[in-house]
Amino acid sequence: MRYSKLPKENFEAFFKSLEKWGAVYGPVKRGRIYSFEKIKDPNEMSLNYTRTMIPPKKFFVKPRERILRLKDGEWVEECDEEKKVIFGVHSCDINALLILDKVYLSYPEDPLYKRRRENSLIIGISCMPDELCFCKSLGTDFAMHGFDLFLHELPDGWLVRTGSVKGHEIIWRSRELLQEPNEADLENFRKFEDRRIKSFKKELDAQGIADLFDLAYNSDVWKKYEELCLGCGNCNMVCPTCRCYEVCDLWTSPYEAERVRRYDSCFMETHGLVAGGHNFRATRLDRFRNRYYCKSYFDPQAGFNCVGCGRCDEFCPAGIEHVKVLYEIARGRSYNVPILQRKSA
Amino acid sequence: MRTLGVFELTGCGGCALNIIFLYNKLFDVIQLYKIKEFHMASSYREEGSLDVALVSGSVSTQRDLEILRRARENSRFLIAIGTCATHGNMQSSLEGSMEEKLERIYGTRDNYMGALNSKPIVEYVKVDFAIPGCPYDKDELYQALILLAKGVEPVYKDYPVCVECKLNEYECVLVKRGIPCLGPLTVGGCNAICLRSGIGCIGCRGPLPKGVNPAGEARILKELGYDDEYIRNKYKTFSGGGLKW
Repeated sequence: MRYSKLPKENFEAFFKSLEKWGAVYGPVKRGRIYSFEKIKDPNEMSLNYTRTMIPPKKFFVKPRERILRLKDGEWVEECDEEKKVIFGVHSCDINALLILDKVYLSYPEDPLYKRRRENSLIIGISCMPDELCFCKSLGTDFAMHGFDLFLHELPDGWLVRTGSVKGHEIIWRSRELLQEPNEADLENFRKFEDRRIKSFKKELDAQGIADLFDLAYNSDVWKKYEELCLGCGNCNMVCPTCRCYEVCDLWTSPYEAERVRRYDSCFMETHGLVAGGHNFRATRLDRFRNRYYCKSYFDPQAGFNCVGCGRCDEFCPAGIEHVKVLYEIARGRSYNVPILQRKSA
Repeated sequence: MRTLGVFELTGCGGCALNIIFLYNKLFDVIQLYKIKEFHMASSYREEGSLDVALVSGSVSTQRDLEILRRARENSRFLIAIGTCATHGNMQSSLEGSMEEKLERIYGTRDNYMGALNSKPIVEYVKVDFAIPGCPYDKDELYQALILLAKGVEPVYKDYPVCVECKLNEYECVLVKRGIPCLGPLTVGGCNAICLRSGIGCIGCRGPLPKGVNPAGEARILKELGYDDEYIRNKYKTFSGGGLKW
């Protein structure tokens, strides 16, 4: 892997140069949440953001999009072809995209997802965990691949890792803005990583969870959480690895229609409804349990379908904590769960 | 050509008006349907059977009940439109017996106008489909009417307001600002329009038919400092007693 150094004073010029590759999107603060949005001026960005509410998944599978249009009796495909640079993606989200790739790019591949993946550059950025992050426990706190460039914060700039051929090309074209890193830069990189690793407050002992889950299907803990959970689906909506979508046809006139898909949630009553009226997840308890099995159990060999980003904890109205649920299930007894302290306006 | 009738019971009239507010899409509807009765739009009226009946408003008088029964008996597919028809809305949140209410408002226990305790139409007749909302989203009605004209049954919304709120990337006012929001309990389909302005959901579309957890939401609102009475009033405003814990 090639390492370069981007000095702080060259950041703006480097950022501007990215526009040649496509429309640049980055993390922006909006009210009390962060969101990936189109960036004109790099100063609009909040590069020390914790996590965006909606993960960068939204660039590849959009929250809601028209995929086909019925015109003159024929279905016409719709897909935006915009070239994009997604700047400032955290390691957990890069790893989440790799999980999505396994789903959307294996046969039969999703043509829209594939085209958008090919049309996008991913530029990662290092981060410090907050009290909700547990990516370290899942090995997703460091991205080994899945990005074109990755920027690691240094006191006077960034150490840039190159992760793809395109990444090399960007480095080559911006070579006059970059330097060779020296020993001091590498020492600073090591120090930052050390500090990052030590800053985690939440940990998940992922070893053996799958076996314990096997035994815990009828655990009382599920019953407790059925009472707390509102079944609102917020955890699914903000999850970077949730993959379910709903497709429906909407009429625009009596003879023209569009086929729209949107994120779906396994907490919805009809998610498990099949032909004949049978619902294999008829109660909220079934649906609550299903989410945890989906994230941590179904295929332990393929790894967890969770990257420890902390979004479901941050946006759960009932203050349900993912790691706590897993622990309680694994240990077979429940602990009193206080609601996360919220700041009111 | 299919036939359509629009019937209005007790309500503000907004739900019938909302059909006229389809504007140019109303022409699509009359391409497919002959409207045999629609009091707000025309005094023209034709007796006989209907393929689709749209009923708005709640049953609050003996007259309402007669109109509703006529609509039901003459139609093959009856759609309740608006929260009055589907959940009862505000008029049905008033508790107590009819005599007590008459005494309190009119000073007499005599029921001259044949008033009934307000109830949603689902309490009296079988309803084939329901589109809640105060007012309902007119595109939802448009979709249902076109689908029915093509022989396809429309599908219920099974998700709460939260889903559309997230799809639009609106800030969660309940989690981030501690504003009481009934989004987790309320049927979606409004595209989270109140959340767009940072106002908490007031539940005007009524609670989800299944899997809803009012006790869980009450617990959260209490943590935020709201008392039982506040929560109870908020719950019953539109739901007609459908939200209890």
